[in-house]
Amino acid sequence: MLDRQNYLKVKLFLKFSRDVHGLSSLQISNDFEHLKALLLWAGSQPLSSAHAFNTNLPDSLFQIGEKGLDQAELQSILNTNQRFLLWGKAMFPVEFQNIRLSWIMKISAISEGKEVII
Amino acid sequence: MSENQNTSNCRISRNVLIKAPGLLPMLYTPREIAEDLDVPETTLRDWLNHGAPHSRDKSNHIWIDGKQFAAWVDNQRNARKKPAHPLQAGEGFCMRCNAIVTILNGEIHPVKGRLSHLKGKCPICGGIVNRGIWNAGSAELSQG
Repeated sequence: MLDRQNYLKVKLFLKFSRDVHGLSSLQISNDFEHLKALLLWAGSQPLSSAHAFNTNLPDSLFQIGEKGLDQAELQSILNTNQRFLLWGKAMFPVEFQNIRLSWIMKISAISEGKEVII
Repeated sequence: MSENQNTSNCRISRNVLIKAPGLLPMLYTPREIAEDLDVPETTLRDWLNHGAPHSRDKSNHIWIDGKQFAAWVDNQRNARKKPAHPLQAGEGFCMRCNAIVTILNGEIHPVKGRLSHLKGKCPICGGIVNRGIWNAGSAELSQG
């Protein structure tokens, strides 16, 4: 079972994106699909301790990528997840205090030497 | 505690059939799942009354497991599918009974060229059953 608090944070982020940034419902829908990868990666653990998870997010996505995700889509998912974590750090500074900005910024960089099977 | 008050089939929209497999393995409230599937909450509560899997906690709040719900939606789709088989000789589809029946007292009426109509009665409701046939022969009247 996934952590409900993570899900509620993602929903809040999507609402924020729609109301404040004015994203369209199609973009919101795409972002939600991208953030599902983050929720599945976190599992039952809170996202506020994401930096301490055993596998890192890009590696987890590479495993999904082997099932037919192209490089551009993968990069898009990582960018959305990075945006969410930056938003989370800004909105919940105490809860996300252990997650460093440098760690978040590394997320969107796909590791060298890894190839995604298209 | 799981509840199943009524297990009759529900009509599930195509939109829900597409979105349901994307539900996450977690507990949703009815409102959340209704938002994710883009259906009115009243519709979702109606599905719960018709046997959609859900549970209640000590405070009597309803919780729905995303994966179980997706499996239920898939079952509903399969349950609505009627077993299909090609019409055999002497059979027709009764529009009143909405079922394949053996045509009684079948008569062949030529229409045009090789097209004919096999006209007879339904053994269940007694209504008229028509069936279009090509190259009408005695095989079509095996039960007639």
